[in-house]
Amino acid sequence: MSIALRSIADEQESLEADLKDEILRMYSEIAENPDGDFHFYHGREAAERFGYDPDVLDRAPASAVASFAGVGNPHLRTGLEEGMTVLDLGSGAGLDGIIASWSVGPSGRVIGVDLNPTMCRRARANAAETGSALDCREGRMEDIPVEDGVVDVAISNGVINLSFRKRWVLRELHRVLKPGGRVSIADIVSAKQLSQSIVNDPKLWAS
Amino acid sequence: MFTLFEEAGFARVKSVVVPHFAFKHTATRNAAEAYGVKAVLFTAEKPTDA
Repeated sequence: MSIALRSIADEQESLEADLKDEILRMYSEIAENPDGDFHFYHGREAAERFGYDPDVLDRAPASAVASFAGVGNPHLRTGLEEGMTVLDLGSGAGLDGIIASWSVGPSGRVIGVDLNPTMCRRARANAAETGSALDCREGRMEDIPVEDGVVDVAISNGVINLSFRKRWVLRELHRVLKPGGRVSIADIVSAKQLSQSIVNDPKLWAS
Repeated sequence: MFTLFEEAGFARVKSVVVPHFAFKHTATRNAAEAYGVKAVLFTAEKPTDA
């Protein structure tokens, strides 16, 4: 590899490491301080904006609802059935995974994946509170810790936009799905190329 | 994103804009508007012969 390419690769690696730190910091802050003021709607207010059933939110653990930081409602298009295996990519405090577990029932399973081990512990605790079996695994969305071809439906909510390597993330989702498997992904897109100042600023990118 | 889904091998890629998505603070909302930022719900399938 040339010196110039090596330099670009090093810079990209450094930005990704900074971004990972910022994502861990920001989402930990939402979990630890759900009453804080963030630039996006979160918690029950956000979930209700996106059409989550209030009765479902009442039934879910308060901690999972309070830490909700999604950007839409992937459950609107999942078509989940009993016995299915679901992957929740970027499972956070577990709200979407818990809701999915109610749809697939005890004969199904939900695998959560989150970068943040603290969030995985929280998701497991929230799931246990409702009797849901949520298997949360710490890992990166660019390298999903799930075997090939086992997932019926993958959901994700406001997470993939955080990756610099979206192409890899989608390839990974394709890998873990069974043939005929589906994704339902709520995420942020931008019609225009973001400025380099935003791309190079982990705080802005993580936002 | 459509291209990325298709390049990854997905079929029947569909999207719908998430209604009611907005940033909370005016400055962020204005910046997002300038870049055409939207929340979108994507669905796609892995072909049965994949």
